[in-house]
Amino acid sequence: MPAFLEMRGIVRRFGGVTANDGVDLDLNEGEILGLLGENGSGKSTLMKVLFGMIAPDAGRIVFRGRPLSGHRPSDAMAAGIAMIHQHFMLIEAMSVVENVMLGWPAAGRILKRAEMAQRVREASHRFGLDLDPDAMVADLPLGRRQRVEILKAVLREAHLLILDEPTSNLAPSEVADLLTILRRLRSEGKGIVFITHKLPEVLEVCDRVVVLRAARVSGGAPIGEVTKAQLAEMMVGRDVTVPHAERSPTKGLVRLRVDRLEGPGLGPLSFEVRGGEILGVAGVDGNGQIELAETLAGLRRPRAGAVTLDGHDITHAAVGARTKAGVAYMPADRSSTALVRSLSIAENLMLRDSHEPPCAQGMFLSVGELQDKARRLMKEYDIRGQGPKTPAARLSGGNQQKIVVARELDRRPAVLIAHQAAWGLDPGATRFVLERVLALREDGAAILYFSSELEEVLEVADRVAVMANRGFAGVTMREGADIGQIGLWMSGRAG
Amino acid sequence: MTDSAPRAQSSRLAYVWPLRLRLADSMAGRVAAAAALSVVASALLVALSGHNPFAAFAAMLKGALGSPHQVGFALNRATPYLLAGSGVALCFRAGVINIGAEGQIALGGVGAAALALHFPASLSVLAAVAALAGGALFGALWAALATAIHLGRRVHEVLTTLLLNFVALLLVQQTLAGPLGQFGAGFLQSPELPRAAWLWKVPEFGAHAGFPIALVAAATLSLTVWRTPFGFSLRVAGSSRRAAAYAGFSAPAITWSVMLIAGALAGLAGAVEVLGVQHRLIEGFSLGFGFKAVTVALLGALEPLAVVPAALFVGMLEAGAQSMQRQIGVPSALVIVIEGITMLFVLAATVRRA
Amino acid sequence: MIDFLAAAIRIATPLLLAALGGILSERAGVFAVGLEGMMLMGAFASIVGAWAAHSALAGVLLALVGGATIGVVVAIVTVRFRADNMVTGLTANILAAGLTSYLLRALAGGGRPLAIHLTPLPPWPIPKLDQIPVVGPLLFSLPPLTYLAIVGCVGLEAFLLRTRAGLTLRATGENPEAVFASGAEPMRVRVLAVVACGAVAGLGGAVLSLQQVGTFTDGMTGGRGYLALASLIVARWNPIGAALACLAFGAAEAFELRLQGFGVPVSSYIVQMAPYVVALAVLAGLGRSSRMPASIGQPLQWD
Repeated sequence: MPAFLEMRGIVRRFGGVTANDGVDLDLNEGEILGLLGENGSGKSTLMKVLFGMIAPDAGRIVFRGRPLSGHRPSDAMAAGIAMIHQHFMLIEAMSVVENVMLGWPAAGRILKRAEMAQRVREASHRFGLDLDPDAMVADLPLGRRQRVEILKAVLREAHLLILDEPTSNLAPSEVADLLTILRRLRSEGKGIVFITHKLPEVLEVCDRVVVLRAARVSGGAPIGEVTKAQLAEMMVGRDVTVPHAERSPTKGLVRLRVDRLEGPGLGPLSFEVRGGEILGVAGVDGNGQIELAETLAGLRRPRAGAVTLDGHDITHAAVGARTKAGVAYMPADRSSTALVRSLSIAENLMLRDSHEPPCAQGMFLSVGELQDKARRLMKEYDIRGQGPKTPAARLSGGNQQKIVVARELDRRPAVLIAHQAAWGLDPGATRFVLERVLALREDGAAILYFSSELEEVLEVADRVAVMANRGFAGVTMREGADIGQIGLWMSGRAG
Repeated sequence: MTDSAPRAQSSRLAYVWPLRLRLADSMAGRVAAAAALSVVASALLVALSGHNPFAAFAAMLKGALGSPHQVGFALNRATPYLLAGSGVALCFRAGVINIGAEGQIALGGVGAAALALHFPASLSVLAAVAALAGGALFGALWAALATAIHLGRRVHEVLTTLLLNFVALLLVQQTLAGPLGQFGAGFLQSPELPRAAWLWKVPEFGAHAGFPIALVAAATLSLTVWRTPFGFSLRVAGSSRRAAAYAGFSAPAITWSVMLIAGALAGLAGAVEVLGVQHRLIEGFSLGFGFKAVTVALLGALEPLAVVPAALFVGMLEAGAQSMQRQIGVPSALVIVIEGITMLFVLAATVRRA
Repeated sequence: MIDFLAAAIRIATPLLLAALGGILSERAGVFAVGLEGMMLMGAFASIVGAWAAHSALAGVLLALVGGATIGVVVAIVTVRFRADNMVTGLTANILAAGLTSYLLRALAGGGRPLAIHLTPLPPWPIPKLDQIPVVGPLLFSLPPLTYLAIVGCVGLEAFLLRTRAGLTLRATGENPEAVFASGAEPMRVRVLAVVACGAVAGLGGAVLSLQQVGTFTDGMTGGRGYLALASLIVARWNPIGAALACLAFGAAEAFELRLQGFGVPVSSYIVQMAPYVVALAVLAGLGRSSRMPASIGQPLQWD
């Protein structure tokens, strides 16, 4: 009997980074396969290869007895593979049935609305989707919108459905509903690949699970034969050791206090950071990290709660006021938030305090002083570029980040919020960033260090918090931290 | 975080002419290429109508630059484009798309005429200055209206500035039919403005004081953009809204500032036309200036001073148009065609990635 | 009264055609600021075509071609090269104004414009129907392009709501990424929409020159293209609404002309302002629940 889905030896590189390094994957009909992994493990890439959005550098795919190669999404859809993206591809201003008819030849040149509406009702009933064909997508909650995507797949007679992090935006009740729908689909003989980093869901609905780590398959088993702890270890890696770096103990007073902070996609959340302490925030991206970072930096408004810096309430302070009070922020989005690529190194270095001396005197910019400051910072922070006037776009990623580091740290801030500070950097640049952060710690600043790379967090932090589901699933001291426990926290609700 | 590779963006020009890769990559190079292409296209048009392109262009140049008086005329023609264009360019620089110059110029003319006609005779030495200020004020107020609707009711500034143009043009006609009109005239116009309010003219050139004012304005804006913290905030906002928020700049404050400045400059352009060229307010005096200024401003979005050659180019073209028609027989409307083609090529060549 | 309504229909017809073209473009996601130039080109092309080929039909066909040409220019610069919609449209209008004036003179050998005087198109009465009292002469004895406008209005409504191509067009104006994910090409949709917009708007220009006046004069559209833009905003981007809006604006203008005849001091200019003010009010009032296509004016981020 021909295999339902066979992926063999999939390799895919992006520049110098290998996303998939010889990955094999199998799926049977009427089976739900959980694909587990952290950020950067390669699971999204693997599925994009399957769906035809990216071509693999090597490897082959056989689906229902036929090889798939050099294909595009439309070919995959024609072969019966459907992908439910994390960000829905729906037209909000149109109804459910109109969204279904978009791009579907079977709907006819002259739209067969009544017939399509009937088919929507039937499929909705059969799979428990509970969708009204004439409802406006804009009026539907997120959970229902996802079902429209599933409906589209089902109506086009997809045999294999790929769901990419389907529960990231759902409320707990909506998650339960989704899992029920998946079981119905399975009983109809569909094959489902369920990509996630959340263990509880995997254990609840999947038949088998495959774990990816660092571009390779690090393990896999039928659900009944593996424990949560084992899966967590496969995700996070058995060989992660906690570095035993010597450093001065934290003695300072509490500088940053967050009290029941709440906002869209965040909280409520409470924690404290002392002077001379680094609170590392680990966790898979998408669990509220950017919301927390931007709310603390002043780019998002909180709905409730309070943020205090050295005793002063900065909950509703504007960005400029926070910068003055000593809040430094290194955003994850380097290319269009932290830096303006078309501006020069010197101009980027003055991005946040362009209206104050030494950058400005009265109404004008002090060009000479600016250039001097830029040269000084370029030397101190080893920013390699032709000169202060070089556009930032010409620098390598590592040097661009050095600009951000230089700018934020030169102010001797009271608080530093670093988000993915070493992402995409080569080891040398990464080392540089971490050293500077540690030096700032010695200076007595309170530091909040976000990263999706657990090893990086473990290297710098004094305490480690794990962010999951919009809050901290757990906090532990770095000394004697239990990796297994951290892995469990990262993968969803504890216990 | 996505695992997929970033999309490569290739310049089409570079694909077609690989040798010109470096040239095509620089903005100045692309503008020059656009200008060259449009000259070729216009020459073709002239040739198609049976005339000699070189003779036509020569006649145009001579018509524009042939004598001091003609040069003055060309400078006068360039002035409103330079004034209004600088302001619009400032807006583009800050990422605000303001196409309301047409209406702001018209109302500026109204402001200038109203002030000139009702200015107390005892202070007549200040009449011209006051009238210019009045024009700038009216233009700024009109821009403020568009901005208030844009920011207050979340309507795209492109739509508010566009629609208000036509309201403004009709308002001008209304004032000419009413308070500012001259009864008995065949068409809508105001009485002639008192001499005291006329702009001073350079004797031989016939160029009025408007051009130096426009140059000063353009230079001031350039200085502002490059050398002041405010200008820096504009450049950041025009490149990336997220970076501007991160830098602590207030988007509404930036929008208000550039719109008011642009409105004032456009109003000033209208005032200069009324006080310097026609010496009265005539219906339709401003038609086309505003929209053309928007396209002239495209070049200025890259560098405010670049509006100067662009405005001069347009001024020269329009000044030389009549000569070309008289001497060679090529219809003067060709000049508008050249303007349109050039602007379209420049538009295509200067698109920046957000 | 009949005369008044007839005048309203007459004023509204070119507006309606331009507005229909504009709806095609805007619902696909491209601001239709170039309507003025497209109309003008169509007005010019129809007169020249009819004169040269001695056939009104040739004129109409050439109007479609002329308007579509401006559409092609706009499509290339703003859809393919991703220049700003508005600035491109304005520039296209300038180009069209110059090109029509230039060609009108160049065709005559330079200098003086070609003097073409054709008979305006006569009405085509529909037998039997035009005998109905009151309504008959009003609705069933109209010149050919006006019938076309009415048919076009209904046709566009049907196209947008009942065909898959119409669905794809509407979707492109709302969320081009979703259209791309569904297997279609948003760029192709937008280009076709803009070119079609040009053709239909060109037909509107033909109404002015070929059907109503019989000649072409420089800049004869006189801002009607922008008025059509205001109309389609007031109509909230749907064809039947556009017909009503254009008729309303036509009626207002006809009414105001009559009032002037009676010596009532209603300012013609204030009345002419009404469409733009109403359009602004509609935009301002709609605010968050605006029915403006969600992705309008946004350049496509990929090929």
